[in-house]
Amino acid sequence: MSNLILEVKNITKEVNSPEGLLTIVKDINLSVEQGKPVSLVGPSGSGKTTLLAIMAGLDLPTTGTVRLLGSQITSLDEDKRAQIRGKDVGFVFQSFHLMPRLTALDNVMLPLEISGDPQSTDKAYEALKQVGLSKRAKHFATQLSGGEKQRVAIARSIVNKPKILFADEPTGNLDKKSSSSITDLIFSLNELIQTTLVLVTHDLSLAEKCDEVYELSEGQLL
Amino acid sequence: MIRGILYGLKKFWSEVFSGDLLILFLSIVLAVTSISSVGFLGDRLKSSMQMQASSILGADLVLRSASKIDSKYLDLAAANDLDSAEMSTFLSMVITEDDNLLTSIKAVTASYPLRGELKIVNSQGTKIKHFGSPEPGNIWIERKVLETLELMELDKVSIGNKNFIVEGIIEDYPDRNSSFVGFYPIAIVNINDVDAMGVIQTGSRVVYRNLFSGTQDNLERFEKSLEGMPANIRVQNALDIGDNLGEDIANSTTFFNLASLFTIIISVIASMMAVRRYASRNLLHTSLMKVFGASKLFILGHQIMQLTLVAIFASSLGLIFGYGLQHLLLSTLQGIINADLPPPSSRPVILGFITAAFVIFATASPYIKILSETEPIRILRNDFNIKLSSNLMIYLVAFFTMFGFLGALFQDIKLIIYIVISLILVTFSLYLIGRLLIYGLSSMKFSYGTGWKLGLKNIVQRGNDSILQVIIFGLSLLFLVVLAETRTDLVDSWTETLDEDTPNYFLFNIQQYNLDPISNYFKDQGNVVPDFTPLIRGRLLSAARPGSEDINFDNLMEREANLTWQNQLPLSNSLVEGEWWTNGNEVAEVSIDREIAESMNLMIGDELIFSAGGKTFSVTVSSFREIEWQSFSPNFFFILSPAAGRELPNSYITSIKLENSQKFMNNFTNRFPTITSVNLEAIIEQGKSSLASASLAVQYIFFLTFIAGILALIASVYSNRDQRTKETAIMHAIGASRALIFKSAASEFLILGLLSATTAIIFSIALSSVIFIQFLDLIYSPNLLILGLSYLFGIGFIFIAGVISIRKSIYASPMITLRDS
Ligand SMILES: Nc1ncnc2c1ncn2[C@@H]1O[C@H](COP(=O)(O)OP(=O)(O)OP(=O)(O)O)[C@@H](O)[C@H]1O
Ligand SMILES: [Mg+2]
Repeated sequence: MSNLILEVKNITKEVNSPEGLLTIVKDINLSVEQGKPVSLVGPSGSGKTTLLAIMAGLDLPTTGTVRLLGSQITSLDEDKRAQIRGKDVGFVFQSFHLMPRLTALDNVMLPLEISGDPQSTDKAYEALKQVGLSKRAKHFATQLSGGEKQRVAIARSIVNKPKILFADEPTGNLDKKSSSSITDLIFSLNELIQTTLVLVTHDLSLAEKCDEVYELSEGQLL
Repeated sequence: MIRGILYGLKKFWSEVFSGDLLILFLSIVLAVTSISSVGFLGDRLKSSMQMQASSILGADLVLRSASKIDSKYLDLAAANDLDSAEMSTFLSMVITEDDNLLTSIKAVTASYPLRGELKIVNSQGTKIKHFGSPEPGNIWIERKVLETLELMELDKVSIGNKNFIVEGIIEDYPDRNSSFVGFYPIAIVNINDVDAMGVIQTGSRVVYRNLFSGTQDNLERFEKSLEGMPANIRVQNALDIGDNLGEDIANSTTFFNLASLFTIIISVIASMMAVRRYASRNLLHTSLMKVFGASKLFILGHQIMQLTLVAIFASSLGLIFGYGLQHLLLSTLQGIINADLPPPSSRPVILGFITAAFVIFATASPYIKILSETEPIRILRNDFNIKLSSNLMIYLVAFFTMFGFLGALFQDIKLIIYIVISLILVTFSLYLIGRLLIYGLSSMKFSYGTGWKLGLKNIVQRGNDSILQVIIFGLSLLFLVVLAETRTDLVDSWTETLDEDTPNYFLFNIQQYNLDPISNYFKDQGNVVPDFTPLIRGRLLSAARPGSEDINFDNLMEREANLTWQNQLPLSNSLVEGEWWTNGNEVAEVSIDREIAESMNLMIGDELIFSAGGKTFSVTVSSFREIEWQSFSPNFFFILSPAAGRELPNSYITSIKLENSQKFMNNFTNRFPTITSVNLEAIIEQGKSSLASASLAVQYIFFLTFIAGILALIASVYSNRDQRTKETAIMHAIGASRALIFKSAASEFLILGLLSATTAIIFSIALSSVIFIQFLDLIYSPNLLILGLSYLFGIGFIFIAGVISIRKSIYASPMITLRDS
């Protein structure tokens, strides 16, 4: 059996814009092996986020197929894709996206509550411990610093032990110091929970930590 | 879905207290409080009026005829599980050894009366009986008979060939004729003694009545089986009387309905705003949930559960408040309702829940749809704006179902239609005005720098959002102003009906030769000039329509009629059809009370035959009038033209207003012993206190709507607070001073408030006049004080609430605002 965890074939995404049909990404082919982190780099507006969304099943391509964790997600409906995401996929975003009026713990619990996990509290504590924030569990999201917020977001993304973790500029909103500690944390996850990282970044030094680097320019892989 | 429901259950209270659901929650509480308090009250008011009406008849249903009624109806009633009693009334002399008095004799069976109370006392005033008939051979008489004939308890009297022993004095009895001018005192005897009297012969005028009472269902079934009854038997139903009972009560009921209708509409507006804010705040949450694997059904379950919980908790709270408020209203309404009230039915409870569910789901369904269909990719794009335009259809459907629902609720399609039309008109105008404003402002060139220019620019940039706010402000204000006007004028009109000049004495039996002495007496003693109205005792014999035969004047029966003749239309009357006779016109005509005319199927031009003073004569119906009975002046169903009435034998009646009346009237009775006087003070006092309590009740209900209106305004001010906060933070960050930001926001709210208040005031004049004329039968003239105050209040409130809503972000450090977002 192949150990390809993600396989992208001939992906093109077009959208309607005021200036007519706009091709955002074009004819993308790539694959990710289990346990081998990859990164996606490219200038702003080159289509990184768009591609990431399609690969993670958050959006559909205009043409082409995506095979994620053994399922051809491009031919599944939104609810089926959601099911796969809920079970085996984790996400970290540039702007954290914590629920402001929930505590750190409640934020981390969110994915488990959706899947109806009975041990959600214990598992969420465990995840917070793994990112080194168990002391902040009862703090509200608004009371945390940017770096802490991102740690909570990372705890949230790993709480369901995902097989693949998508991160879109996870350090983009952070200063140098917290940026490097977040980077260390993210790369340690590979070992910690055996997840495969797909990382979108501007930062070439970050990208080069990955086993493979894909470079996007004007919607096409170089 | 189940998981979503459980999740919604779990997060409910934290979302209520976090504020997202709070305004929605509160507006539902208010809507239910209003609808249920009015519902509970209306329910009890209705049953109490029915009880009063029943006690006027002495029964729930009465068959009445001038000839003996077939006993099969009694059997039929028994078969329908109804109680029944019989009664016949006729005039006869009550005779003692040296005097006699023409008395109205009621001969009744032992089960009389079926409704209301009969109060029989002995000479010490102790109550001896409260229902039934005297034993055969005994008679109960009114005090007036006792005094006139100088009788004592246990004395003997006779009627025709039958002797009776006076057993008790009638203090009160239920089926008094509704008019207070009763001409003959009454006596009650056992129906089995009638034959022995031998006073009823062919041609005697006797009215036979069968009285029935029972449950509403049984009564209805019975009434249905009465179809095909001979035309000379008339059915009187307490329900019909109840409908006519008290125009003031009817008006206050209209007001209550109007108020709760407005409260519901305003609550719908408030919850629309609240739901909008709730949804846009929930969009991040929902998108995140989607990213983390929530299905569409999960989101649906979550949302529906939360809204259902809002519906349940908010309406339970509303019902508790509503029930409490109803109690409060009821205790203030004691003056109107004095019967012991049956407990309220469960209808308002059901109604409360349905209203809540309805308001919530009508306003929330578009958002539920949007939320459940959120694309998770919003998270990556940071795009959390809700566009409603694609859901216009849902809104339209929700809007019309809402009015269908309100129509079913209030059972007044006319009212609902007027409200819908004005709602559409006003919304459309507000929309246009908003558009014009934005168009006008955007064509101006702004250079930054001054706060108010920035504010204007913000209005333009917010575009549809600004228009929406103008609409919401305008609508909430509109309904508040209309209700405020209605409330004030209703209360004023009530105070006016019973003003200081309302007569407190009624005099009748005045003969021609008394007129001058009486006038002089009042002029000397109290400087009062009485106005005498001729009273002709007559009888309506028949009616005909010239040119057409076989007209069925079904309800017209030979009846006693008090007639008068007049040159001028009396002040408390207004002509509704036909024409009043011109001076010097020597045609025999009659003007009739419209309701009576309608009940007799009469039309202008019909001929009526009367007999009076030993003469039989014919008059032509020339006009219909509406009578204002509360005026307490002599009013007549039939007024003859001078040509018809002048020559007939008559006495006079008058009503006067006397200060210090007690002493005055004692002297008067001594000087004019033959003249009968009736003291109206008790009735007037009762009327006054009824109206005072109705006014108070109206204030309470108004207050409720007022709160709802305030809530709607707040909801709409807060609806785009998040966006404003963000903008404020950015403005701060790029170096704008607090004063500048404050001026900008203040001028924005000022403009919005000014526009919506102006439109609301203009339209409120139109809507109020429709409501006054169509639903309250009042004349409308704009109440400038109320309009002015409302105008200032509207602008001021929107301004202050608006400034308060962004105050926090203006005075917070920009750092915190950034962190918050
Ligand atoms: N729905 C859409 N409609 C129109 N244009 C879109 C849409 N989605 C993305 N774009 C455009 O496609 C291009 C690629 O966007 P994308 O967000 O994928 O870029 P990116 O590489 O992630 O940039 P950045 O590094 O700044 O985050 C941009 O020019 C963007 O404006
Ligand atoms: Mg991007």
